[in-house]
Amino acid sequence: MLARLKANRSAIIAEGRALLALVIIVVFFASMSSRFLDTTNLVIMTRHVAFNAILALGMLLVILNGGIDLSVGSTVGLSGMVAGYLLKGWEIPGTHQVAYPSVWVVILVGCLVGMLVGVVNGILVAKLNVAPFIATLGMMYAVRGLAELVGNGQTFTQLFGQKALGNTGFVSTLHDNVLGLPFPIWVMIVLTVLCSLYLTRTPFGRWLYASGSNERAAALSGVPVKRVQVRIYVLAGLCAGIVGLLLTADLSAAVPEGGSGYELNAIAAVVIGGAALSGGRGTVRGTIIGAFVIGFLVDGLVLIGVSVFWQEVIKGAVIIVAVVVDQAQQRLQKRRTAKQVSGPGSSPAAPAARSESTVMTRA
Amino acid sequence: MTGSDNTVTGSGRSGEVVLRAIDIVKTYGATQALKGVNFEVRRGKVTVLFGENGAGKSTLMKIISGVEQPTSGHLELEGNRISLSSPNDARAAGIAIIHQELNLCANLSVRDNIFLGHELTNKGGAVDYGRESELAQQVLDWLEEPISPETLVGDLRLGQQQIVEIARALVADARILIMDEPTSALSASEVTVLFKVIADLTKRGVAIVYISHHLEEAIEVADEAVVFRDGQLVATAPAEEIDLPWVVQQMVGRAADYDFSDRPREYGDVRLSIQGVKVVSPDGSGRLSVNDVSIDVRAGEIVCLYGLMGAGRTELMEALAGREPIAAGRIVLDGEDVTHLSIPDRIAKGMVLVPEDRQRDGLVQLMSVGQNLSLSSIANLVKGPFVARKREAVEVDAQVKDVRVKTAGSRAPITSLSGGNQQKVVIGRALMTQPKVLLLDEPSRGIDVGAKGEIFSLLFKQAERGLAVLYVTSEISEALSASHRLIVMSKGRVVREFDPARTTRAEVMAASDTDAAAHNGSSS
Amino acid sequence: MFKKHLAWAVLPVAAVALAACGSSSDSKSDSGSGSAKNAANKTMAIITVDPSNPYWKAEVDTAQAEAKKLGYKTTVNAHNNDQTKQSNFIDAAISAKVSAIILDPAGAKESIGAVQKATSAGIPVFLVNAEIDQQGIAKSQIVSNNSQGATLGAQEWVKAMGGKGDYVELFGQPTDNNAKVRSDAYHGVIDQYPDLHLLQKETANWDRQQGKQKMEIMLQAHPNITGVIAGNDEMALGAIQALKDANKLSQVKVLGFDGNNDAAAAVANGEMVATALQPIVQGSTMAVDQADQYLKTGKTGANAEKQAINCVLITKDNAAKLHDFVVAQ
Repeated sequence: MLARLKANRSAIIAEGRALLALVIIVVFFASMSSRFLDTTNLVIMTRHVAFNAILALGMLLVILNGGIDLSVGSTVGLSGMVAGYLLKGWEIPGTHQVAYPSVWVVILVGCLVGMLVGVVNGILVAKLNVAPFIATLGMMYAVRGLAELVGNGQTFTQLFGQKALGNTGFVSTLHDNVLGLPFPIWVMIVLTVLCSLYLTRTPFGRWLYASGSNERAAALSGVPVKRVQVRIYVLAGLCAGIVGLLLTADLSAAVPEGGSGYELNAIAAVVIGGAALSGGRGTVRGTIIGAFVIGFLVDGLVLIGVSVFWQEVIKGAVIIVAVVVDQAQQRLQKRRTAKQVSGPGSSPAAPAARSESTVMTRA
Repeated sequence: MTGSDNTVTGSGRSGEVVLRAIDIVKTYGATQALKGVNFEVRRGKVTVLFGENGAGKSTLMKIISGVEQPTSGHLELEGNRISLSSPNDARAAGIAIIHQELNLCANLSVRDNIFLGHELTNKGGAVDYGRESELAQQVLDWLEEPISPETLVGDLRLGQQQIVEIARALVADARILIMDEPTSALSASEVTVLFKVIADLTKRGVAIVYISHHLEEAIEVADEAVVFRDGQLVATAPAEEIDLPWVVQQMVGRAADYDFSDRPREYGDVRLSIQGVKVVSPDGSGRLSVNDVSIDVRAGEIVCLYGLMGAGRTELMEALAGREPIAAGRIVLDGEDVTHLSIPDRIAKGMVLVPEDRQRDGLVQLMSVGQNLSLSSIANLVKGPFVARKREAVEVDAQVKDVRVKTAGSRAPITSLSGGNQQKVVIGRALMTQPKVLLLDEPSRGIDVGAKGEIFSLLFKQAERGLAVLYVTSEISEALSASHRLIVMSKGRVVREFDPARTTRAEVMAASDTDAAAHNGSSS
Repeated sequence: MFKKHLAWAVLPVAAVALAACGSSSDSKSDSGSGSAKNAANKTMAIITVDPSNPYWKAEVDTAQAEAKKLGYKTTVNAHNNDQTKQSNFIDAAISAKVSAIILDPAGAKESIGAVQKATSAGIPVFLVNAEIDQQGIAKSQIVSNNSQGATLGAQEWVKAMGGKGDYVELFGQPTDNNAKVRSDAYHGVIDQYPDLHLLQKETANWDRQQGKQKMEIMLQAHPNITGVIAGNDEMALGAIQALKDANKLSQVKVLGFDGNNDAAAAVANGEMVATALQPIVQGSTMAVDQADQYLKTGKTGANAEKQAINCVLITKDNAAKLHDFVVAQ
């Protein structure tokens, strides 16, 4: 156990920092407002966090690979609009019949829409070698346009379905409390567990970390790097699709500009959680903590009534401080490793053993 | 050298001490990297540093070039005590260093790289590209390298990039020039030119400190030999008095024991059959970097592929591994055509490559020793959808023992290992896929004598278990002492095949310079 | 102030009438380069803010339909309140040699240069929905009277509140002049009632989702509020959704602005107290008609460059008649 702690030292330090930030935020707001730690308030804030956290999980996968996905915000909008369109009744082309798909069909289609966007991203990046920033930037615009096209710019409202048609319950399914907690929070919890297992316990997770750290070495080791790449964009799209559905249920309206700008919040959460934009480094735990840092900060500032302009300044400052501290820690870490490597000894085993003890005394 | 004869040829006779390191101690935490070293550098002489990895030579060079500061002790430059707190201080004092690792910007030109951080400016403060180009051209001419200063460094092959790194140090007009493994990527002819340049420099009074794992080469260039072991300077001798066995014995404290030429040879069936393979050079010239090569390797056989830089060895290896497509021919693995399979599929069929550039193509730097070892075989170490972590740990630990990785544990970061142990991890990863054919590209590059011996003994052990091994090397002594069969390539073709027990270095060297077209496949 | 607006409100009617006369006399007209012998070959460039918002979609749709009716081709672009984009679209219109530009400007100060550029290139510009801080460049500036609309809305809301209670405010995008104009007009009415207390003011950037999330947190800070005033309908609808989730909608009176369809439905079923309809359909029609008139006669037909159209208060009484920004007569 101790050995494991040491091996994951850098990861734990990075998360520890995010956790510390979260603790500071909680303590600060709790002292400023008695409502902050109220259960109802915590549940509401956590529900707000859930949307960003789910997106951030998808973003984490992409960032671990050294990529970036700017299109997730638009995908949120598209998936929501497609869901809204279907719930309002889908006129089957060529006929004059209108289909009212059941809730689960709508949910499935919403998820598929997200994954489809991801497939396009993945093909652009992995097969056509477009830089991820450019590919997903293009998709960000294109998908937003599609979201607007779905409703011809209109908002779909009153998505409660019609009892007679048996498609009620979209909103209640994806919005109401289940076992005392709102549905989005459960989705966040389930996806966090799944994502964590996926990354730490499956061969795919290992492949993802390896190809993000050194793609050439991973490829020569037999890691199917292109397949890994396509898959992470699909999963990021799926996360965005899920968020689109949850947001639509939350508002009980599908808004074409829904989710715009969300990609940046997701990236911020991943970065605050200690992930490296260059790939290969980052954890699910850190990312979730990062999402809570941002969400609690934003809501906390509203709760204590800080002016909106200062809210933005503070949010930006927290992100920058997080990354600056991270950089400093990276440098420290590197220097330490460098010293360990250049440590002498006739037998190469000796310095390794000794550096281990150095670390223990320092830790 | 760049037109100005300033401090370099200043006062003083050749052989005088320019730089003296006195009682240098360097400690990192609890470990002592240097235990009180006294060391001298003489004007106009080449001082060669011998020592295994971790013996302390690199640490001392870092102190002399201002990268690190000594814990105690000090430096004297021409009798005056100096302290160097940064590489820039050292450069100002006339000390330049050619680093082992290439520190070049691929997207800048050769000229811009040579002058990076020390740009020549005209009166207006703008970069004087004209003069820079001219000086860069002079240096490149001196190094007899036909590269234009305007070429992008990214377009150069590794050996040429190393030349640029050398050129960068040469324009500094240093009086002390430290060369840390300057030849690791150079071809034989380029090494010859470099040695000529070194001779020019010493004639002008420049003091050279030279480090190389390539012992024969280093002995050739040395005026003075200095041997380090375990943080101490253990021997000093003038070049005339030393030879290879002496150096090796001083380095390891005992005689080297890697000669496998007497190992039994019992081969099985043909495992790998390369049939008329042609590979088009990826540089876009349309030239064939591998031209009609056919080689068979049998189970239990270790075949060494010797050749100079540019002979097409690495290209052949990458084509075999599946990274580069082949233009013609077939690759047959254990009777099965694998010519068009992907890298993972070839690994699954039992053929895997240990690449040449360990840092770039071998290691996953952010992962632990264990994760690096199991990377290639992780898909087979599963229980349901998950990695069988206990089984993984057991197999990794077994492999660590098997390839004798010296590590604090399988969870230690890969970057905490020495070069030799990192190489063992990359080989161990390949072996964990239970290959039938193991391909290795320069498996001994940049690692010390002790580790080299261990790696080859590991290969022979695996061969006895039935593995077919094909490896590339640039060191003749290695080719002769650690192979069952020696194949020489030149200009993309197989030019000769030797029995290492019945040939001499001279014969092999002559073959490697053969004009491939004239002597294709024939034995003279 | 109020009187002046009322006086302006009469003008558009006259303008429309004149425009109608103009279109019938186009064969006789030959005044200058702007005149159109054959409108079918002419193009109007319509530059709007963001057609994904139903309000601006109505603006564009109306302008396009009206221009088509008068025989013009149209091009439509959206600048999303980005003055750089706006400038690019103006450049494109100039190089395409369009006959006229119908522009919903991105910022009162920021858009002066763009309008000047087109005018200097000989292309008349007609502003709709928002104004610029300079007169004499654009041919018409047709704006709905935000201040008047907000005043009407606030009066209705105060009535519903009974003149007392605690409330919060959702403010529009701070860089948009209308956010301030509406807020000021709201407070011009509300601040006269000392028993109405503003507890918190948050911006939600005109956005429904943000309106909901901000409202949810403000409800935590101030659980006992009885009123919400919002700078537009989208934010108000977000707030209504938050109140519904918290089971507090019955105790809280919500005020919106714009008069979009969702808001009309909300007002009709009692979820929203009132909203002010911006007569964007009327404004948009006027702008196109005046452009057509100007191209044919060299005059817009309106008495002044700046023309304000009054907003219509939408309450439970007339909400059912409101559809697509038009109140059925």
